[in-house]
This record gives sequence, structure tokens and C-alpha cells, in this order.
Amino acid sequence: MKKFFVLLLAALMVFSCTFTAVADDSAYLGVMLSTNVMSLDTNLATDGESFEVIADCIDGLMQMDAEGAAIPAIAESYDLSDDGLTYTFHLRDASWSNGTPVTANDFVFAWRRIAQEAGEYAYMLDEIGNIKGAAEIIGAEKADPTTLGVSAPDDKTFVVELNVPVSFFPSLMYFPTFYPINEEFYNSLADGTYGTSPDTYLSNGAFVLEDYTPGTASLTVKKNPDYWDADRVQLAGIKYQVVGSSDNALTAYRTGALNVVAISGNQVAAAEKDASLANNLKVTGAGYMWYLSFSQTEKNAQNGKLANANLRLAITNAIDRDNLVDNYVMDGSLATYTAVPPQFAASSTTGEDFSADQDRFTDYVSYDPDKALEYFEAAKAELGVDEFTFTMIYGNNEGDEVAKVAQAIKEDVEDALPGLTINLQPMTKAERLDKMQNDNYDVALTRWGPDYADPMTYLGMWVTNNSNNYGFWSNAEFDQLIADCTTGAYITDYDARWDAMLNAEEIVLQEAVIAPLYTKAQANLITEGVENIEFHPVALNRVYKDVVIK
Amino acid sequence: MTKYVLKRIGLAVLTLFIITLVLFLLVRIMPGNPFPSERMSAEQIALKRQEMGLDDPVVVQFFRYIVNLFHGDFGKGTSLYYGAPITTVLTTCISNSFKIGGIAIVLGSLVGLVLGITAALHKGRFLDGLCTVLSILGVCVPSYVFLIFLQYTFSFKIPFFPYFFDPSRFLFSSVIPAISLSLFTMSTIARFTRNEMVEVFDSDYVRLAESKGMYGRSLVMKHVLRNALIPIVTVLAPLVVDLLTGALVVEKIYGINGIGKLMVDAIAGEGIDYNYVLALGILYSALYIGIMLIVDLLYGVLDPRIRVSAKGGDD
Amino acid sequence: MAKQTVSPAVSTPAYTPRKEDFVFLPKRDIETDKNFASQSYWKGVFTHFFKNRRAVVGLVIVVLIILFSIFGPMLSSYGYRDIVQYRNEKNKRVVAKGISPQIPALHELFYGEAPDNSFSEYTFLFGTDDLGRDLWTRTWYGARVSLLIAFITIFIDMIIGMSYGLISGYFGGRVDNVMQRFVEIANSVPRLVIVSVLAIFMPKGMGLVIVALLLTEWIGMSKIARAEMLKIKEQEYVLASHTLGAGNMHIIFKEILPNTIGPIITQVMFSIPTAIFTEAFLSFVGVGIVLPECSVGTLIEDGFNNITTLPYQILPPILVLALLMLGFNFIGDGLREALAPKLEDM
Repeated sequence: MKKFFVLLLAALMVFSCTFTAVADDSAYLGVMLSTNVMSLDTNLATDGESFEVIADCIDGLMQMDAEGAAIPAIAESYDLSDDGLTYTFHLRDASWSNGTPVTANDFVFAWRRIAQEAGEYAYMLDEIGNIKGAAEIIGAEKADPTTLGVSAPDDKTFVVELNVPVSFFPSLMYFPTFYPINEEFYNSLADGTYGTSPDTYLSNGAFVLEDYTPGTASLTVKKNPDYWDADRVQLAGIKYQVVGSSDNALTAYRTGALNVVAISGNQVAAAEKDASLANNLKVTGAGYMWYLSFSQTEKNAQNGKLANANLRLAITNAIDRDNLVDNYVMDGSLATYTAVPPQFAASSTTGEDFSADQDRFTDYVSYDPDKALEYFEAAKAELGVDEFTFTMIYGNNEGDEVAKVAQAIKEDVEDALPGLTINLQPMTKAERLDKMQNDNYDVALTRWGPDYADPMTYLGMWVTNNSNNYGFWSNAEFDQLIADCTTGAYITDYDARWDAMLNAEEIVLQEAVIAPLYTKAQANLITEGVENIEFHPVALNRVYKDVVIK
Repeated sequence: MTKYVLKRIGLAVLTLFIITLVLFLLVRIMPGNPFPSERMSAEQIALKRQEMGLDDPVVVQFFRYIVNLFHGDFGKGTSLYYGAPITTVLTTCISNSFKIGGIAIVLGSLVGLVLGITAALHKGRFLDGLCTVLSILGVCVPSYVFLIFLQYTFSFKIPFFPYFFDPSRFLFSSVIPAISLSLFTMSTIARFTRNEMVEVFDSDYVRLAESKGMYGRSLVMKHVLRNALIPIVTVLAPLVVDLLTGALVVEKIYGINGIGKLMVDAIAGEGIDYNYVLALGILYSALYIGIMLIVDLLYGVLDPRIRVSAKGGDD
Repeated sequence: MAKQTVSPAVSTPAYTPRKEDFVFLPKRDIETDKNFASQSYWKGVFTHFFKNRRAVVGLVIVVLIILFSIFGPMLSSYGYRDIVQYRNEKNKRVVAKGISPQIPALHELFYGEAPDNSFSEYTFLFGTDDLGRDLWTRTWYGARVSLLIAFITIFIDMIIGMSYGLISGYFGGRVDNVMQRFVEIANSVPRLVIVSVLAIFMPKGMGLVIVALLLTEWIGMSKIARAEMLKIKEQEYVLASHTLGAGNMHIIFKEILPNTIGPIITQVMFSIPTAIFTEAFLSFVGVGIVLPECSVGTLIEDGFNNITTLPYQILPPILVLALLMLGFNFIGDGLREALAPKLEDM
């Protein structure tokens, strides 16, 4: 028996040696992904992980600089017509990884395809980008994609026509939805195989896909030697690994298997105590704002009790947001008292962050149990009811801290407002969304991540009948303000628009349409010596073009 | 016998057809949206549903599905790995889960048998107690706790095995997940083997064999084990199906793209993906039915007195 | 039909047996031979069981855990869902989260230092979780929930599964074929699909978990019972009983059932952790018990999620489960020996 074990051990040794010698990952940066990459097709991708890998491989017209501003990429420069409606992009000499040059037609093809196939992010073309013809094509049964307002007068010139001036249009260009696809290559592939393997994916960006199958838990990209800016890229490649539990991520980081990991709040506390980890801890904004959405329709919340603004104000003032972030989220997330989260949208004229002043709306949003009780008494008087029982839904697959936050909110609210009971109802994110979209909930713990760096990504949701206005709140004054900002009076006057949005935000909070909670941060551990990873709360969460390993 | 087997296979196909129908209907009444979206307009979603044929009568949808199935087409994902044909995703997942699960089954049942026999031969003595405690630990501690322990010890403290699953070093990186997965099977088999054998040891025919001077290995192998095998095979069968179809948490932690995680993602991920749930459900049923058929045939081999095929027990 | 051999008649005149001679007696109630049973069967089982030291130890363990699960939460001043916290001088909230067990030796084992004092006047025997809830209360509360779920489902599953398997195996042929195909269909629908559909009609919580477990867990039991039946039904005593005119149901439940009890008890023992972990899995994917309720399974999962930061958290639920299993197995062994009085220690 003993002999057997010795033999087994020896066999294992040989085994491990032969195998460890094969792969040398040391030159690659090991990066954690929290969920699987869903698709590398710009039309189908919907998640940050997919966008990150797509952006590793493909460059759009513009790219993000370290601060998140748009700088030229495939477009060397662009002109804007005087009426602000026509952008003309001048493309540089760049090539796809199969050697064919990147032309304006690649953009025309990709954008038309997005409009025609009308996936999740097609709304970037019509609602956000306001590109001419987009609204008519998207969602229409028999649409002619060639009516989209994009054209390629020659190989190096790409022209986009808009319905109204869009002040942040160039910064949309780094979003993967607007990336090019080589038409000839795409058409040579079997249906449904684009972006499902390294052979079916063309790259014009910093990296090329090296190893990938759909659904894989690990994938690699390697440096693209033919990248137009190849000198800038120092990294040999990136090895992505999907890690389901942040607990495991920390150990993986310690083993050196991964160089960049995201850890949970509990571990941040532990890492801060550990000197070897504390130095390598980097907290970055994740962009997401978590908030409570209240259903205001008759069929929910005891026949629409939450349509009462005082009741909503009572709840929002009963929540101790500092306690939430300090004791439960714990990853550097910011307690938020504004309807637009801080640190993602700065004014392009003054450079001032839209929500820098978190005390601006203290009258409506704060932690003040006494004030909350006043509101509550007012609501009770108005409604003639003393007892309320609401169900709060939240996703149980949306992060470790969500369940904890839900329970802390329950404690706070029930503590401050005697007579109000909140029942918790966890479910999958999909089910939560389904319930909200079908208006079948009382209170929901939900979140929104910005798609572009403008406060409108948050404020636009509360317009009457917007598909994201899950509370079915409606306010004519607010609607008018938003219309003026998007298509009306203020579109050419940046500062006036900015102020109008601040006014709109005040209305949202005055009426407690939502109860903002906190702006999610991401605590990252980055191996000593790995420098210049760019983190952004918008569009591309991590960019590796400048990364060096020292 | 051949006739019986053919008949059973025919029945299995029929059963599978019924299961597909049941699943097809159930999946459509499950909560959740096949096109989860916060950004698409109602028209966009309607268009997508139309493309998928979700607005046609269910009967039409079902027969279209069956016809496609005969062409080996399981459709595309709607909320999971969109666009890519399911077969491409499924092939890798099946191969990973089957291989790791297979190793776990072999390991678990063999070691379990050895443990069980050892315990039975030492009934009431120290080794028996030890095996009891071991097998109880094996069923009480979830496989993912073992996994994290093994991973911590043998990939971190003693960095011998890879920390994550690596398809290019398949066997080597399967060791840790396979061992952790095998422990439940091992414990169950050990326990059943021990209890069955103890019972068989006390039966008259073993006493007879003993009194005839039979002892040791030949007695155990020829008489005792063979008679104890029927319940063991019975408990092993569903465990085999479970192991082959993957384990969510183990896959998640060790970074394996396997069937277990795929199933949970398809149901409880971003949305509910009809095609994935169906494909996985059919796969699972086919496996289960196949293994049950094998078990029924095995009964006859293990104990010639049992003839499941024949019409027995009549008046 | 079972075979029968007739010993050649020695005496004259030669008699050729005819077919009519071999008919079973008409069905009738079989009376147990009262003279044979010198004492009541159950009394025998009882004395036999209590003579078994391990069985008694098992019983004590299980009873203790049941008692703790009933009274344990009352011994603590915090409810299972209370977040223990106070406000310090600066009116800042201090939450008792992540407090390790208030047993200095244990604390030093995990952290290499004595426990901090900010909550020293509180007693957390098992420590607190990452929300600041007392793990002692939660462990016993969770044990209560899990035990309830396990007992109810396993008891009902045992009855359904056993009857189903025995009947299917006994009649064999077409009956068996149809019944087994039904099992295949019932077992083939993934559990998650069944539960998701059920959740449309039922509120989430313990009831849903129990129904979900009822729908799927009996199958294993029925398979075991069927296999045992297939093994036993060809034995001579069944035929004998048959010859004496016993009805099918009498044979199945009075004659064969007691002889299948061994593997069934083992299966029952192993169904307990399966039930507990299935419940945890269901809670994990959002169709199980509703927070802040807890069960042994969800506690183990919580502990697992915090295993690097709060390593002590996973210990109490796992220990409770392991002790419970140990106890049940000892009881099971004892019961088996007491119920099947053919073993050597009779």
C-alpha cells in the first residue's frame, strides 16, 4: 500500500512538471471577470465584461483618455457643421488583423446592422445619439437600414447626420455599439458564428483574441502587432478568468494567479489591515447608483399608497446611507443624496462635477428620523391609514452586499416609522426587472449604470412613460425641462442646459420619485508593479492600452 | 433479451418525447423574460419575439422545435451567450462536466466500495467507526467546502495544482474538483455497501458458505458483495446523473464552464433562456433514462433471479 | 410464475399430479400465529434498541439538538434577525458585525490575538455574522427550520416513495413499466424548473421548499424500495404466503416491507443532508426561504461566502449538521438491528 502511494506521488510530480512547463503565463496580465463574457458581437453584448473585451480588440472612432474624455482613435480628426447636425470623421490608416484596411464603410455597415437588428443598445443610435433615421428603423418590422443617416463618401471619410445637436456625441464614439465591423469578413462567416472564436473575430485594436469559446470561464487576448498605435501597448496579453466569488478572488490574487481582482466589502476591511494588501488596494468608481424605486400605481402598495409623496419622503429620510456604506457595502461606495450620482458627469465648460454638492437637497433627502416621522405623520393624516405593509424586491444575484443593504434598510425604516412594515423578497435580477416592467411590485432596490457621461442618462428615465420610469410618476414641469434639454430650447446652450438639469433633479427629489442610496465603487487589488490600468465608471470599465508591468 | 432491450429503447424515445413536451410547456409558463432588457422598446422586444416564433401557437412552436431537433439544431440563446448556436456552447460544457464527473464517479464508487467493505469486515470495531464518521463527514460537508479547502491547501499553501481550471491541462487541473465532487458519492456508497454487506453476512446462505469452509476474499467477492450490489447500484445511478450534469458552486469556484452553471445561468441569470433550459433538460433526461435502463439490465446480471423484463408476480 | 418442484412419490399407487392440484388458496386474511409471538413485536424492538449503546448515544444527540433548536434562540437576548448595534459617543452607529466567538481560546486560534473589547459586555457564544446578528440564535433558529423541512419532507417522501417502489417492483411487467416511465418523466424535469413554476402559484418560503422537495425527493426512495422488492419477491417465503392465499397488498406491506427496511433506513439518513442542501440551493437561487430567515443550509452558504474573512462562521452550522447526521446514523443502525431481528446479536 505504501509503495502504491509513493508511486502515485511520483507520478503526480512528473505529471505536474511536464504540464507546468508548457504554459508560461507570466508575461500576461491575469485579470478577474466577475461574470462570463456574454457576446463579443457589438450588437448583442450588454454587459461590462463583454464591452471590456470588445474594446481590447476593437477601436472605435474615438477612445477614452485616462480621465474619460474622448480622444481620437480610428478617426484622426472630425469636423462639426455649424448647425451642429453633421459630424465628418476623417479616418487614419489602420488595418484589421487580416490585413485589410479599416474603411469608413466598416462603420456604415456596423451601424446599419445595429439599427436593423435592434439589440439592447440600439437605443444609443436613436434615443441618445439622435442619428437621423435611426428611430424609424429600430423596432420597425420592414425597415431599410440604408436610410440611416450615415455615409462614406470615400474610404477615409465617415459622415453622420443627426436630428438635433448632441453635445456629447463625440464621447459616445468610444462606446462599443459604435465600433466598426468589416463587412466582407462578416459576410464570409456562417450565420451566428461571428465573434464565437478567434478565427471568426477581426481586431483593429490593441489586442487580438487568442483563446475564446462562448461561455468559457477563461479567455486570453494577445498584443496586436499590427495595431495602428502598437508602440503604445506594452502588455504581451491579458488572461481573463471568470471568478464567481470575491472570496476566491482574494486567494487567487495572493497566489499570483490573478493580478487584477475585485474584492468585496468584507475583504476590503481585512485587506486594509494587511499591510501587504493595503498598498495595492485601489478603489475606483463603478458608476452604478443604487436607489429605491416606488410603484405609484393603484394596483400596488395597498392601492397606491406610495403615490403619496410624504410617505415616500418619510422612507427616504429614514435611511441611514452612511451606515449602509460604512457597515455593509464597505468597498468605498459613496452615500448618495442626489438623483444623479457623483463623479461621473462633469460640466465641459466649468469642469465641475454635476453632483459634487451632496448637501444641495438636504431638505428632501437626508438621514433624519425626526423629519422622517413628520413626513410619516403627514402621510398618515392624508391617507387616513396608520398601518402600512410593503414588499421590497431585490436581486440576489446582483452582488454580495445587496441582501445586506436590503436588510439594513428594513431595520432603519421600521425603526424610524412605527406602523410601517417592509417585507423582503429576494429574486433573480431577471425576475426583479420583469416585476418592475410589469408594474407588479411595491418597492424595489434597483440600480442604473450610466451609458454615457451626461446627467441625462439618469434624469431622462423619469419622463412620463419612459420605459425605465417603473414608478409611473408623471410631472408636466419635469417633462418640459427634460424636453428642453434634449430636443428643445437648451440644446445649443450648454450652461443653461446644465442648470435646467439641476432644476429637474430637484423636482425628482422633492417628490421622492426615487430614494437614492449609494454610488457603487469597486475595490480592486492590483499586483505591485502593474501600472496605468485606466478605470472608468462609464462605458469601458477598464482599459489596458497603457499598462506596464515593472 | 434483445427484444426486451429494443422495446425498452423504443419506450425511452417515447418517454423522452413526452418529457420534451412537458418541459416545453413548463418553460413557457416559468416567470422571467426571455428578452430581459432595460433599454429595448416594446416594439423591439415584439420584433425579437416574432423572430423567435414565440407568438405562434404552442403546438406549432413545439413541432418546429422537434423538427429542428432532428436536424441537430437546438436553436440560439436569447438571454445567454446570445447569438452563438447552443451546440457550440454545450459541447464544451458537456465535455468538461462529463470528464470531471466521470473521474469523480470512478473515484467515488471505487474508494466507497473499499471503505464500505473494510467497515463491514470490521463491524463494530474501530475501523467501522472510523468509516462511519468519514462517510458522515462526506455527506455533511458540501463539496464546495472541500473544494475550497483543497484549493487553499494544494494550490495556494503548497502551490502544486493550478488554482483555476485550465482546459489545456485537463487531467491535472481536474484533480481537485474531481476529488471534491467524489466525496459525497464515496460516502454514500461506503455507507450503503457497509450496511448491505453486514446484512448479507448474516444471511443463511453466507453462513452456509462459511460452514462449508469458505472464507476470506472469495467469500466476500463471490457471495456477499454480489448480493449487496443491487441497492448499491440503485443509489449510484442517480448520483452518476448528478455528477455528470455538473455542480454549480464547484464549477463557479474552480472556473469550469460546465453544465451545472449553465443551467442556473439559463434559468436564474439575466433572463430565462428557453432554448438553453430545454436543451439541458433534454440532455439530463436522456442521461437519466439511459442510466436507468442500464441499471435495470444490470439487475438481471447481478442477480439472475431478478427478471425485470418478464411478467412476474402474477396470480 | 414461481417454479415448484414436487418430490417423487415413493408410495404406491403412483399418482400423477394434475394441474388442478396446484392452485392457490382463495384470498383470505392471514392471521398471525399468536402463540409464536411470546412478546409484542414493538416491545422487542424497543428493548433491543435501548440495549444498543450507540443507538442511545445517537438518540441523545438528536434529542439535544432538537431541544436546542426549540429553546436555543430563547437563551439569547437577540432575535435571529436583530442586528446588534449601539451608538457611540459621537452618535455614530457601531454594528457588532464580524465578532468572533467570545471564547478567548478560539479567538486566538483564528486570529492570534485576544478579542476586542467594544462588545465585551455582550455574549456571542458563536460570534456574529457580517451583518451583526448573533450566530448562536441564528444557528439554532436555522436548525429548527431545517429540521422541520427535513422531517416533513422525508416522512412523506418515505411513505410515497416506498409504496410506489414496492408496488412497482412487486407487480412488475406492464405496471412496473408504466410506473417507471412516469418516474423518469417526473425526475427528468429539472428541479429548478419545477420550483420556478411552483413559485407562480405559491408564496416563496418554507411551504414552497417543502412542496418542491416532496415532488422530487421520493424518487430515490422508490428506486431503493423497488430494487429491494425485485430482489426479495422471488424468495420462497413470498411464494409460501401466496400459496396460503395472502393478498398482494398483504404480501407487499406485511411480508416484504419489513425486510426492505435496512436500505430504506440508510436512504432516509442520507436524504436528510440532501434535503437540507437542496433547500439551501433553492434559497441561493431565490426560491427558497426568505431572508432574514435562515436554515442550516443557508448558514453554511453564508459561512462559505465569508470563509476567508470570518472563518469561524461556517463551523456552527456544519457541526450541527454533522452531529445531527451522526446521531441519525446511530439511530438508523440501531433501528435496523432492532427491526430486523435476524442479526447475530439477537
